[in-house]
Amino acid sequence: MNEQDEFDGDRFDGDESVDHAPAPDQAPALIMEKARKVYPMADSEVVALDDADIVVEADEMVALVGPSGSGKTTLCSIAGGILSPTSGRVVVGGVDISTFGPKQLTRVRRELVGFVFQSVNLVPFLTARENLLVVDELGRRTGAPARRRADQLLEELGLADRAKNLPGQLSGGQRQRVAIGRALMNDPKLVLFDEPTSALDTKLGMAVMELIRDEMKSRGIAAIVVTHDERITQFCDRSVHMEDGKVL
Amino acid sequence: MFLAWKEMRRAKARFGLLIAAVGLLVFLILFQQSLQNGLLTSFTGALRNQSAEVLVYRTDGRRILQASVISPDLTEMVGQDPSVAAVGRITQGTFSVTPLALGADAEPLETSIIGFELPDLGGPRFLTVGRVPANTEEAVASEVDADGGFAVGDVVRIEPGGKQLTIVGLARDAQLNVAPTLFVTYDAYRAALVSRNPDAGAPLPNALGIRPAPGLTADQVAAAINTLSPELDALTRDDAAEQAPGVAQVRQSFRVIFLLYGFVVPLVTGLFFLIITFQKAPALTLLRAIGAPASRLVASLLVQVAIVLGGGLAAGVGLYAALARGRIGGVTLRFETTAVIVWVVLLSVGGLISALFSARRVLAIDPYSATTGAGVGR
Ligand SMILES: Nc1ncnc2c1ncn2[C@@H]1O[C@H](COP(=O)(O)OP(=O)(O)O)[C@@H](O)[C@H]1O
Ligand SMILES: [Mg+2]
Repeated sequence: MNEQDEFDGDRFDGDESVDHAPAPDQAPALIMEKARKVYPMADSEVVALDDADIVVEADEMVALVGPSGSGKTTLCSIAGGILSPTSGRVVVGGVDISTFGPKQLTRVRRELVGFVFQSVNLVPFLTARENLLVVDELGRRTGAPARRRADQLLEELGLADRAKNLPGQLSGGQRQRVAIGRALMNDPKLVLFDEPTSALDTKLGMAVMELIRDEMKSRGIAAIVVTHDERITQFCDRSVHMEDGKVL
Repeated sequence: MFLAWKEMRRAKARFGLLIAAVGLLVFLILFQQSLQNGLLTSFTGALRNQSAEVLVYRTDGRRILQASVISPDLTEMVGQDPSVAAVGRITQGTFSVTPLALGADAEPLETSIIGFELPDLGGPRFLTVGRVPANTEEAVASEVDADGGFAVGDVVRIEPGGKQLTIVGLARDAQLNVAPTLFVTYDAYRAALVSRNPDAGAPLPNALGIRPAPGLTADQVAAAINTLSPELDALTRDDAAEQAPGVAQVRQSFRVIFLLYGFVVPLVTGLFFLIITFQKAPALTLLRAIGAPASRLVASLLVQVAIVLGGGLAAGVGLYAALARGRIGGVTLRFETTAVIVWVVLLSVGGLISALFSARRVLAIDPYSATTGAGVGR
């Protein structure tokens, strides 16, 4: 795949692949079948994800719960095209990404999924608004529509008056809200939240979860929310438990 | 562009300082280039810018004009060689000369006087004003000394003895041994010697200026003369200037300086970008994780490198253009266009190459690192 291909053609669409999608819009946001991730070690191997099966429907919000090291981040990384599975099948928004190479996966991340990571989520030298707009700069630039979308998201997230602030000038909760806006900028099929409230106190965490739920449900976007806080799960449609790399 | 530009705007001081540092280094390089050329011109300009294409020394004079003395039989031997169309005798000596324009009791200056038999074989090559001396009362002076009492119309006096010469022309870049230099006729030179010492006889030439036979180049003629006798040392005028004692050492010293500076500029930019690439590794990792192609991030880096180099080079050349004129300690400084072009190309290429180390770092970033607590590329 050459450099050009990365930007060629339209956005990925549901009809590009998959046999069992009835219609693109109702296609599940995520299908994982026997997804496996193995890290070879010096004289053994670590099975980070052990033949995981999971389906997340198009507008479903799933809480992914499990102890530390159980494979939650690995599962999300594979679902989001950050990691390639060692084996198994992964379909995101109707696109089978199981055999995608690094450049195709880069495009998947840019067009099909949104991420809110555990730690670093914002570019420190960009303002809140620019942290949203940068998403538009990574692929084919759309310009004015992207600016409108960024302003609308900031408004919805209660950050309109913080648009020009750098991340360093924002509180933890505000930063997390900017990250949510950033994850929604590319109109993804699936948003992956890896412990989105772990850095926030309980009250703020609940408020952020409420916001996440409102944003996802109003847009009909699917989400996986990784957590080990049982109180978080109440915001989701259902909980999926993991242990030792297995989906229970 | 977006990322490159936004980052530079948010870190104006940091990038501004780097551009200033690069600019200063570029200025220093170019300034020293002018200094070197000016210095060498002050030492040997009169050799390079005299009119004979080929100069013949006596070997034991070791390419010092004043130390070389050519006997009449050697002069005749050269004159009879078929590669030689004409021979002009050249003498040179150091005299104490009072520029009377500065007052009759002004301090006398050590001055090089060059006597030529034929104006086109040892006379001044480029006159900026005036004409070639026509009699024993006239001289052409080195142009840089015009303001020191050697302007056209000024009269200078040879000490002791009091022989006077009137300046009738100025020669460009025509100093010898960093001293005011006068070109006079052979007879005027003899008169100057007599002024200093009434018993002085006819001077033997210190060198011969050669006109090549038709169809021969200066190099061919020099080679032909060198086969005549081991006592003869023939050189083209550029070689005579380049191979004068000390010139090679001066060039060597400057070469070391240039080499150091030539490495420092890419080193400074390379290290700077390597450091900021390390510092913003978490942000770059995040961008890779949300779908930035690595090539975009590298392009953004290279845009910044280009802006820094472009800005630094422009600042350095601008400073050089403003300051590299006039004289420093008797050395004339000039804006050297060739040096500017060569250094701009060299430093741009060097700077971009040094940035490849940072580019490699960017390409090596694993987006998966964004999912771990560290979030930093290894
Ligand atoms: N790059 C890696 N190399 C080796 N082992 C890894 C790597 N990344 C993750 N693991 C292992 O995979 C398992 C699952 O990790 P992870 O998905 O991060 O768990 P969780 O997010 O549930 O805490 C852990 O045992 C972890 O040590
Ligand atoms: Mg984790």
